[in-house]
Amino acid sequence: MHFAPLPYLDPGSGSFLIQLLIATLLGLGVAIRASWGTISKWFGVKPKAKTDEEDDEAESK
Amino acid sequence: MTKQNQNSGQAQQSSGQLSASFRDPSGFLFSRGGVLYRQVNRKYEQEYARLMESGLYEKLVKAGLLIPHVEVDQEPATSDSAGAVAHKIIQPERVPFISYPYEWSFGQLKDAALATLSIQRRALKVGMSLKDASAYNIQFVRGKPTLIDTLSFEIYKEGQPWVAYRQFCQHFLAPLALMSLRDVRLNQLLRVYIDGLPLDLASDLLPSKTRFNFGLLTNIHLHAGAQKKYSGAEVKSRAGTMSRQAIIGLIDGLDSAVRKLTWNPGGTEWGNYYDITNYSDAAFEHKKQLVREWSARMKPTLVWDLGANNGVFSRVAGEVGAYVVSSDIDPAAVEQNYRQIKEEKTENLLPLLLDLTNPSPSIGWANEERDSFGGRGPADMVLALALIHHLAISNNVPLPQLADFFAKTGKWLVIEFVPKADTQVQKLLVSREDIFPTYTRDGFEAAFKQRFKICEAVNVREAERVLYLMESL
Repeated sequence: MHFAPLPYLDPGSGSFLIQLLIATLLGLGVAIRASWGTISKWFGVKPKAKTDEEDDEAESK
Repeated sequence: MTKQNQNSGQAQQSSGQLSASFRDPSGFLFSRGGVLYRQVNRKYEQEYARLMESGLYEKLVKAGLLIPHVEVDQEPATSDSAGAVAHKIIQPERVPFISYPYEWSFGQLKDAALATLSIQRRALKVGMSLKDASAYNIQFVRGKPTLIDTLSFEIYKEGQPWVAYRQFCQHFLAPLALMSLRDVRLNQLLRVYIDGLPLDLASDLLPSKTRFNFGLLTNIHLHAGAQKKYSGAEVKSRAGTMSRQAIIGLIDGLDSAVRKLTWNPGGTEWGNYYDITNYSDAAFEHKKQLVREWSARMKPTLVWDLGANNGVFSRVAGEVGAYVVSSDIDPAAVEQNYRQIKEEKTENLLPLLLDLTNPSPSIGWANEERDSFGGRGPADMVLALALIHHLAISNNVPLPQLADFFAKTGKWLVIEFVPKADTQVQKLLVSREDIFPTYTRDGFEAAFKQRFKICEAVNVREAERVLYLMESL
């Protein structure tokens, strides 16, 4: 496995591979969402930035 | 992978290092003069600096997600050779009572999982990442799940996967899915599997319909399959790296999978206990008044309410400022209790799932990693209300042994004697032989006098029950 530096817990080969697969798939979604903001901006829609404070509110619910 | 020590009886090495704090080379916890410190090793200097200087520490502490600490001028825990590895000594805020995931209700474990993901998202924003996602690193502080291991962060390098992913699935996602979709009592598997549920076991136990749930299909079923297929295989770097977006996608995906899992209390042991007892409002109020009065008089710092149901009397004892551990055997009662503390933002009450007839044992390496329930005591005051008949009659524990147990558990004891004539006791005896000739008020007092001084004995109004205040000898 290729980590720098090596982790102190074994993340597991299978866990790494499945993580890569899921993350790549879901990462695409994140990328689309992110560029959706840019596209919206071209049309003058102001994207709503999520702040840590909003995260706090969401978590306290 | 650490825990905090709450009492001097805790297993320690000669250096004072806590027996549970050995796995992470970044540092460890030690106790000196009754105060808990954490040594930060030189190896961790860079990461510690990033945590403190990036603003991450401050943000997390402000959000109640990380335990606050102060840097102190203390000698390192160990002698010369180890002294050379010490970078700093910090003193974390003390957690009033350490609890473990197998003692949490569904909602508590779910909130701990979401807190872990929230911490990871915030860490990624400043170029750090959680290097472990152990449920044991989360404790309930001021009613909220809080990371207690300050050394859990590493510097995030673009392309690197989340090293704690497997641990997150085993410690949080798998048990939550089983509790939500199979049976809430399956959280007890965490007592057996200290590093979280093996995913192949979770995959086998989950209903097959969960294969149609994207989050569970990928993070549990396919994950378990991949673990089996690639066990021990070397993964070459060409297998790919993870972009920042990919890791955020992964975290968001886990967040959404956890949020979708729900469990609602209902149809359980004491779900509506207070509605079906033979208590009148006057008796109930009288009991509250006595608990209030005695708590105010004894001023306990730590109260254990054993058999607390949904915590009505725990709240009364907590009014004097005590920290109350409010335990019950019923997952629904504990869940209701937790929902109430969340709603009311109660900071000094910890709902806890505990079977008193088989309380949490010491588990882990050398039986010293996670403390037994008794090992986390004693409490200043113990409440045992409407409890004794369950222990003495349902569980056949002789009264002298009950007295011994309570004497070890706390200094002050508020205990309710429920006589045989009480309908609740009659129910327990309806289908069995009455083999309890000494289960009378006199027999109870005689047994408890061996271990306690009886300070007060008050007949509860409109009830045949007696409430006692006792002091252990």
